[in-house]
Amino acid sequence: MDWQLLGLSFITVFLAEIGDKSQLAAIALSGSLKSTRAVFLGSVTALLLASLIGVLAGEGVAQLLPARILKAIAAVGFALLAVRLLWPSEDRSEQ
Amino acid sequence: MPVKLSSVPSAPVVLVAPPTSIVPATKKSELLSKSVSPTKPAIDSSVMPQKSQSRAKHKPGIWGIFGSTFLTIFLAEMGDKTQLATLLMSAQSSSPWIVFAGAAAALITTSLLGVLLGRWLANRLSPKTLETSAGALLLFISVMLLWDVVQMGG
Repeated sequence: MDWQLLGLSFITVFLAEIGDKSQLAAIALSGSLKSTRAVFLGSVTALLLASLIGVLAGEGVAQLLPARILKAIAAVGFALLAVRLLWPSEDRSEQ
Repeated sequence: MPVKLSSVPSAPVVLVAPPTSIVPATKKSELLSKSVSPTKPAIDSSVMPQKSQSRAKHKPGIWGIFGSTFLTIFLAEMGDKTQLATLLMSAQSSSPWIVFAGAAAALITTSLLGVLLGRWLANRLSPKTLETSAGALLLFISVMLLWDVVQMGG
């Protein structure tokens, strides 16, 4: 059991998800709809399904490309994600 | 040339609501739940006539809320950075299912935090403020999604 990978995965997804649209949607929906439980379950199901699709697509991609190229693409991909997260863009929410 | 409604024999009317720019959150959710599960209330009340009439009223509501939440968040999440991060991590790791386990735990945690925050806000704000804020927030999210679409297509 690779605890480091587990922890890394947890932290990466946690940080990517905080303040993300899907979390904002969960906040808005749970605040305005009657059943908190239904909103929570709907949100978790949707996110797990999307995550599952991500993993399966990733595995599919892994079978097509050699490891080196995959790592290069992953590095670029993560760099782009980091730039998007860190970019001081439209300050709508900072009021 | 305005067409009188009476002259149109049996036009399938989808939206009868007056032209308002912002639909309050509860109305929007009702519209969503009605479009997601239109036949469920009819089935429930016809199969279980009187005994579980109150139950029949609750069930479609719960499943409607579940369904519309699921649809909203699933569509917001597909192609989103969180999903991309999961994809990239699992593609270049030797154990993708451990990546999935970590991601799943993180997603459940952030969902829980979001839902609890929403309920906390619901207890503090008046219903009208809540509805307006929730509606505005969902509108903002849809604008962000459209922005994503434009950026991806460009």
